[in-house]
Amino acid sequence: SAAAQRPWKLFGAMCLLRLPRITQPLEKVEEAMAALMEQIELEKSHYSDHEVRKLEEEEQLKKKKESLYDEDEALGKTVIMAQDLEEKWEQKFLQFKAAPRITDADKNNDRTSLNRKLDSNLTLLVKQKIGNQELWLLPQAEWQPGETLRSTAERAMATFLGDHIQAKVLGNAPYGIYKYKFPRAIRTENNVGAKVFFFKAFLQSSDLSQAELKADHLWVTKKELGDYLKSEYLKKVNRFLLD
Amino acid sequence: DALLGCHRSYRSRPTHGIGKFKYLLPKELPKKRKEKVQVKEIDAGTEYQYGDVNIQMTSYDLCLVEHFAQYVHRLCNRLSIRVNESYAMPTKTNEVLFMEEKGSKMQLDAVLTTHQRVVQIRGLSSTFAPILLEIIQSSQPEGVHLLVKQHTEADFKSRLKSRPELEELLAEMS
Repeated sequence: SAAAQRPWKLFGAMCLLRLPRITQPLEKVEEAMAALMEQIELEKSHYSDHEVRKLEEEEQLKKKKESLYDEDEALGKTVIMAQDLEEKWEQKFLQFKAAPRITDADKNNDRTSLNRKLDSNLTLLVKQKIGNQELWLLPQAEWQPGETLRSTAERAMATFLGDHIQAKVLGNAPYGIYKYKFPRAIRTENNVGAKVFFFKAFLQSSDLSQAELKADHLWVTKKELGDYLKSEYLKKVNRFLLD
Repeated sequence: DALLGCHRSYRSRPTHGIGKFKYLLPKELPKKRKEKVQVKEIDAGTEYQYGDVNIQMTSYDLCLVEHFAQYVHRLCNRLSIRVNESYAMPTKTNEVLFMEEKGSKMQLDAVLTTHQRVVQIRGLSSTFAPILLEIIQSSQPEGVHLLVKQHTEADFKSRLKSRPELEELLAEMS
């Protein structure tokens, strides 16, 4: 019935987060503390099996050089010396190359790729047309009566990224709300303004090759959000984004 | 006479039983050996509370896993979530053999131990659960796998050791 219809339009928006892949670098205090603790632990610890074996073999070698009668005893034992093992392990370690922490996308500052800042959360921003303006927003869709707000948000995500996204929504409760009133020209009795409910989802796989990206999209960290979002919107979104 | 007199608290004296205090302490019942599974709470009721939830952390590195388990436990204490139990599952040892077929066949062995710690939580409200999950996810250390699931009887029984002799006797009886 028209009387019971609320004057607010409801939208469900999805905040898609890509969790960090690498730990953040330690601060100075943390680094100093870690070094100190390592030193203390090293001085307090006992010798491990490998180190005991190494020391014994060194003593045997010394005895061999000084006197000759140990050769008969040590024939069966020293097949592989502990020192040889260590050298083998060191060579293997030198051959191993770790993946770079700062990827190419970082150097180019290419904000559309997912391989950017690997140590912080990345949020998806999409350019949408609202009224007359094209704005950078979290992907949102209008609520149809009869569906839950969470499914509205999932639908919004699907319209911008395609159906096959492996994103996990944790709960049914929204994380934040942003409400605004329409400018006076469009305002009617039944249409005062809009309320946007934010939901959070975590990207499970970083493979977006199947995604059909229709509009312009960006992956930004929390600090860079300020470059794109409006201040009021930004305030509400920042409330539920962890760093 | 006064020097030699021995004032032992004998039964006829009024000071008999002067040092006793055990009757003042609360009575301790003898411990039962068998512990049965606890009663589960409502899962999706009107207040939307989860029952027993297990947070399982596995890793190869012992110190990391233990410290992370401690961190999760303290976090729940601070957020006034009731922690039922916080226990460790037995460690599993894996031997890794490398077969190098270039040149002579060498077998380089490595021994890896997998450690698992479990923190059991009760009374998690469903509005708060995603926030807690997000906090734990974002503070995961490297190399630690996280698994959050509801507690079942199978989980409880995996901690108990099976008794093959008892089972054989029971099978013979029936």
